Order: sequence, then C-alpha cells, then structure tokens
Amino acid sequence: MTGLELLYSPFIEYAFMKRALAGSVALAFAAGPLGVVLVLRRLSLMGDALSHAILPGVAVGFLVAGLSLWAMALGGLVTGLLVAGLAGFVSRVTPLREDASFAAFYLMSLGLGVLLVSLRGSNMDLLHVLFGTVLGLDDAALLLVSMVASVALATLALILRPLVAECFDPGFLRSQQGRGSMSHMVFLVLLVMTLVAGFQVLGTLMVVGIMMLPAASARFWSGTVVGQMIVASVLGALASYLGLLFSFYANVPASAAIILLAGLFYFLSIVLGRTGGLWQAARQMRARRRQLHPAGS
Amino acid sequence: MTHCASFLGLSMGWRLKGEAGRISVLRSVLQGFLPALVLALVSAQAAAAPLRVVASFSILADMVRVVGGEDVHVEALVGPRADAHSFEPSPADTRRLAQAQVLVVNGLSFEAWLPRLLKASQFKGQEIVASMGVIPRRLDPSAHDDHDDHDTPEPDAAQRDIDPSISAQEVRRGRVDPHAWQSLENGMIYARNIAEGLSRVDPAHRAAYRERADRYIQEMKKLDTEIRTALAPVKAEHRRVVVTHDAFGYFGQAYGITFIGIMGLSPHAEPSARELADIIQTVRHSQGVALFDENGLHSRLIRQVSRETGIKVGGSLYSDTLAMSDEPADSYLGMFKWNAGQLIYALSPEAKR
Amino acid sequence: MSLTNALIHLDQVSLGWRDRVALKDVSGTFEKGSLTAVVGPNGAGKSTLLKGLVGTLAPLAGRIRLGFDRVADMAWLPQAGELDRSFPLTVYDLVAMGAWRRTGWWKGFSQSEHARIHQALAAVGLDDFSRRIIGTLSGGQLQRALFARLMLQDAQLLVLDEPFAAVDSATTEDLLQLLQQWHNEGRTVIAVLHDLDMVRSCFPNTLLLAGQVVAWGQTEQVLTPENLHLARHLCAGDYL
Repeated sequence: MTGLELLYSPFIEYAFMKRALAGSVALAFAAGPLGVVLVLRRLSLMGDALSHAILPGVAVGFLVAGLSLWAMALGGLVTGLLVAGLAGFVSRVTPLREDASFAAFYLMSLGLGVLLVSLRGSNMDLLHVLFGTVLGLDDAALLLVSMVASVALATLALILRPLVAECFDPGFLRSQQGRGSMSHMVFLVLLVMTLVAGFQVLGTLMVVGIMMLPAASARFWSGTVVGQMIVASVLGALASYLGLLFSFYANVPASAAIILLAGLFYFLSIVLGRTGGLWQAARQMRARRRQLHPAGS
Repeated sequence: MTHCASFLGLSMGWRLKGEAGRISVLRSVLQGFLPALVLALVSAQAAAAPLRVVASFSILADMVRVVGGEDVHVEALVGPRADAHSFEPSPADTRRLAQAQVLVVNGLSFEAWLPRLLKASQFKGQEIVASMGVIPRRLDPSAHDDHDDHDTPEPDAAQRDIDPSISAQEVRRGRVDPHAWQSLENGMIYARNIAEGLSRVDPAHRAAYRERADRYIQEMKKLDTEIRTALAPVKAEHRRVVVTHDAFGYFGQAYGITFIGIMGLSPHAEPSARELADIIQTVRHSQGVALFDENGLHSRLIRQVSRETGIKVGGSLYSDTLAMSDEPADSYLGMFKWNAGQLIYALSPEAKR
Repeated sequence: MSLTNALIHLDQVSLGWRDRVALKDVSGTFEKGSLTAVVGPNGAGKSTLLKGLVGTLAPLAGRIRLGFDRVADMAWLPQAGELDRSFPLTVYDLVAMGAWRRTGWWKGFSQSEHARIHQALAAVGLDDFSRRIIGTLSGGQLQRALFARLMLQDAQLLVLDEPFAAVDSATTEDLLQLLQQWHNEGRTVIAVLHDLDMVRSCFPNTLLLAGQVVAWGQTEQVLTPENLHLARHLCAGDYL
C-alpha cells in the first residue's frame, strides 16, 4: 500500500469510518466557531459545565421515552437552556457575575440529575447508554448532527455582527438599539443545541474537546473573529481526520485520539503560531535587538 | 406450652406461701425455669426466623434463594438489569449489609466496590465466596507483571485459595475473567459453596440446604446435556459470536464457542477504530457469525457491525445480571436457558439462509 | 422630528445606584448646538451624569426630557478603559460599527457606506491603519479610531466621557479640532474633561459638578476660583 493510500483506505473499506469522519467533521465545523465566541467572552469552561447541565434532561428523556434520540435531545435542550437562561437572568439582576451564577446552577442541575436517576432505582450506567461514541454513528445520528451543525453555522453567520458588537462593546450596542441584544440568547440556544446533538452522537469528551481546543489554538493564527472561526473549524476537522487514522493504525480509542491530536495542535500553535506564538515572539525580539544594535557598532 | 405450665405453677406457688416464702419459691422456680425458657425461646427463634443473607448481585441472589429456600431471606445489592461493574453503594446498602448474617459474593475481583462497603458497614457475619474452587480463565496468559499495583484494593484471602498458580496480582489486575457463572459446571460449584456456607452459619438446616443444592445441581446437569445435544449439529467453524464485552468466556470454553467482545472485559472502555475494523473483518471472512446485544441494552457498536456486515442482530444475551421478574431470564437457570436458546437458534444450520 | 432649542432638559434629577446616590438635584438645560464641558473633582458624578443622559442609568428621582430621538440621534464615547483591547477586531471593523443605525444587524454595506468609513479614517489620520488589529494600536491611535466611529454615526448629539485621558498631545490637538468642527456643523457636544485650560480656551459652556450642580453656564462665569474651591470642598477630593 502506498503512503498516500494509507491516508484514505480505511475510510473506503469501512462504512463506520466514513460515518465517523462525516459526523466529527460536521460537528467540528459548527463547534469551532462557537468555541471561539466562548473564548472571546471568557466563558471557556462553559462548554464543560453545560454538559453537566444537559445530562439530567437527557436522563429524563430516556426515563420517559426510552432510547429515543429525539426525546433525549429534547430533554437535554430544555434543561441546558433552563440552566443557561436562569444563570444569565440571575447575573443580570443581582451583582453575581455570570460565571459564578452559572456554576451554581449547573451544579444544582447535576445533583438533580443524579437524584432523578437514582430514584428510578435502576443502577445502569446511564452515561454510557445515553451518550454516543464516534464509532457507533448510525444514519439517524449522522442526520441529527449534520442538521444541527448546518443550522448552527447558518444562524451564527446571521447574528455575527450583533454578537461581536455585544462581546466587544455592549454599551455601544445598547446606545444604538435602546435595549440589550438578543444575540447572546440566540448564541446560547445554538450552543446548547450543538452540545446536545454532539453528546448524543459523539459523547461528552469529544464534543467539548473539539469545541474548545481548536478555538484556543485559533487565536495564534488569526487576528480577526472570522479568521479565528475559520481556523478553529479547519483545525477541528483535521484533528478528527488524523485522530481517526491514528485510532485505526495505532490501536488507540477513537475519541481520545481525536482530542489528543487537537491538544497537540494547540501546543504547536502556541509555539509556531503567526500571531503571538512563542517562536514568532523570539524572532521579533531578535529582529528588534538587531535594529537597536546594528553589527559593527 | 412450656411457658403456660411454668406460669401456672408460679402463680400457684405464689398463693400457697407467705411473703418470705414467696421469694424463696420464686427463686427456686426461676432457677429451674429460666434455662427451660431460654431453650424454648432459642428453638422458637431458630424455627421461625429465616437467615438474613445479602448477595452481591442478582444472579447470586437467585442461586441463594434456590439453595436456601424458605430458610433464608435474600437481598441483592446490585439488582436485576443493573450494572455490577459501575455499581455505587448507597447508605441503604450499607445498612442492609450491616444487618445481614451472611454475605455471598462472586469473588475473582468482580465486585470492585466491595472492600469499601465492607469497611463502611462493619459487617461481622459470614462471607461466602461463591467461586471458591473454580478454575479461573486467564485473560492474557503471556502477561505476568512483577510490580505491584498500589491503587487497587486488597483482595481477600479467599481469592488466593482459588488457584495458587494465579497470583494475587493477576486477580487484582483484572487478568482473570470473573464471569465464572456462565458455565454450568461452575454453577454447580457455586451451589455447593453456597450450601456449605449456609450450613456453617445455620447447621440446623444443613440437610435441607444439601438436599436443595443436590436437586439444583441435577437440574443444571440436565440442562447442560440438553445444550450439548442441541449444539452438536453446529460445526466448529460456525461457532462464533460477537458480543459487547468479554463476559461469556466460560460459556465459550464449556461449549466450544468463540465469543468476540468488542469492548474487552468491562462495558465501559472505548474500542479503537482498529479493534472495530478487525472484528468486522473477522465477521466478513467467517461463515455464519452471530451478533448479540447484552442485558437487554441496545448496543451502538453491535449495530454498527451489523450494518457494516449485513448480519442481523440475533437477540440479547444476559451476561452479568438477570432480567426483571416475570421475564424468562429472571432466574439463573432461566437466564442460562434463555442465552443458550438464543445462541442455538442463531448458530444452528436452519437459521442460516 | 423637530428639535427645540432645549436639547436635554433635566428637572431635579438624582442619579446613582442601589446603595449610593452619586448626583443630587440636577436641574438645567443643554441647549441645541452647544459645546459644553462637564468638569469637577474625582467622584463628582460626571460619568454618572453622562450615563443618565445616555440612558444607561435610570434616574432615581426627577425627569430627563429629551428633545430628540435618543436612539437615532445620539453618539456616546465611553471611557477608554472599558473596552477590551485584546479583542480580535480590525480598525476598519471598529469604525464600521458606527454605521449600525443605517445597516442594522443584517444589512450589507453599500459602496457609499464604505466610502464614508474611509473618509472618517482619513479625517482622524488613520487611513493606513484600516487593516490593523486594535490590540496593536497605541492609546492615541485607538482613540482616533473611536472618534472615526463617532463620525460615522453622524449624530446630532455627541456625548464623550474623558476623550483625551491617556492620549498624547498631538492626538489631543487633532481630535479637539474635530470637536470644534462638529460644533461648527451645528451638532451638540457634551464632554467630560479634566484639563481646565483646554476648557477655558475651547469650550464656551461648562457644567461644574460636585455631587450636585455647583455652576452651569458660560465658562468664564463658571470656572471662578470661588466655584472651584466650593467644588473641591464639596467633594473633599483634590485634583484640579
């Protein structure tokens, strides 16, 4: 097998590899830009926290309707939005900042989830049953994640201008509109939607990882919001592709391989990135020194 | 009866003598009466109250119920359809164990959560290790690590009694398959161990326990023969089954069936793409491999293999838990019959197109 | 919408937060087309007054009557420290925000709009900087960009909170000229300032605050030593 064939033959031979690639790339395209917004708003840990807020809803959906993808997704959406909405409301009305109020609500939600699950009596490992794995995608799951990713991406493009304005200078926007912007609420809906769909098909580790790691890496390659979003999507898709290959050839669990590769890209970005990377900083320092002390003086 | 007679005598003696005389009568009557009373009470207790037994999971609980009959009251910590690998004991479980007289466990490092629970409940009763005397199945005969693993809990002495050739480390490190009950031969050993253990605590009913165990073992022997007969027409190369995790090794050993688990020994590890691809290749290149879900749960990865190879999922096998009551697999023998039935149907020549 | 001579009329207005009243009993008028400097010691309530005018803070007491459509005709420049300098935005995009009133959140940018942005950049001397990321700008350059954004908003009332704080003198001169130009165009300008000499030379009207109105009117009559001393005394602050 030639070297080039090594890069694509697993995806041709096995349908599950094709599906895994399609699903994770679709997710990466939507999750990356959303992650960039989270990083900009200094809410980087919200993705992980929201995953805990979503779990009770998914569990309730499962307890009510069994292993129905759409029922569980609906449940997760409801609790996720509830927690995010309540946290936002409390932070607006009281002196408590959004991150602290969010922490309070998601922990309550998690506790409630544990309680609900234990009330039912069954001790089944719900996390394993409820959440998916990248190698186990079926057509319904693929459809769900592709649909959600497309809607999220399209909506994000639509609300990008007010969202950026609200992130950067909320006072300005308020003075122009006479009221706060809806864009933050819409963004939260997109975020919860993407997380819920992602968990259902790919599991929690992969989704939060593919959302935050490329987004954190992107700021080392681009200085504009849109530029960072594009970089994040590309890095996420690349990590998925290479991660799946790595899992195939090196016999490593799939989600872990993808996330570790995304992590590797992060470190490479810190060192080699064009905007603010360590190597570039060192080069600039050397150039400046040469300017101040030209050879021979 | 004895109580009434003594009481009558006492009251009569009371009326006959004066004050001082009454006290002496009281003392002499009581001195003779008390031991008789105690003996009567003790025998009444033994005759009325069943032994309080706690079993670690549903399969063991069912076996104890059969062997113990009406002489025991059994509760399972991990109930039907629940997952023993990821079980987390609650305060109610601690209380239940604290009040039990007998604890029946599987052993072979199946119950990882047990040592802590034992400490928390300060259980002082009798512990029966059901798998004592079973020849365990080694998972990886080549591996033999020398360095100690400090994170896993200490196994009880009974583990080492099982087979001195298997080191405590191997058991601790999970290199031994704990699902020994999947072989009827081991099931018979389990029944014997349970009967012996119960008899040690409750010698009065030794004969009853032995008799029930014998009957149980007879049923198991009969079932075993039936299964072997039904499987006979299936050729050796066709005896392959893909399941979610490696829980049927003993069953496979007993009846010559190869079980391929997608996720190894515990149902929580994630396979690599390579492992899944290898399984799909195996299925593609073998004749008539059967696919099964586990414990009534729909497995995404089994479905993936099914989609990729075109083979329909043959049904659901019960690995380390019983079904809910009123379902066919709600008892040990029921579960065994169910599993065997599903497998025979999926593997036998008529089932193939 | 007709604009009367009184652009903003304040009637016994008190402004503050839940736990603190920063300004008491402010009454007066900002006339249309005026160029007013708001001065006072630290903690006098100058920023608070601006926030009330702009609508961020609702009055605790009294009424603010506006002779204009606040949303459509007003531009506000907040204190420079409140902006996130590390945000990944180009100068062009920052200035383009000023076109919000015309483009809203979804309309595209027409050719004329782009031309206006370039004009604004040129007016503040940043025509070569349009592609630069704001994190690479100096304090003075960022302030110029913010003034360009103000220009793009094309508002009748401009409210500026300490526009020349931490800005170099060359930039200050250029931007001051812009303010004058806007005043000449008939726009109303209200600015919080610290440099009293600048106020005396460039601003015909002044409002002196110290938790309440000390004096409000023509600059020479307001910025007397007695008034300044009174203001300092009322605030127990010391800066002037």
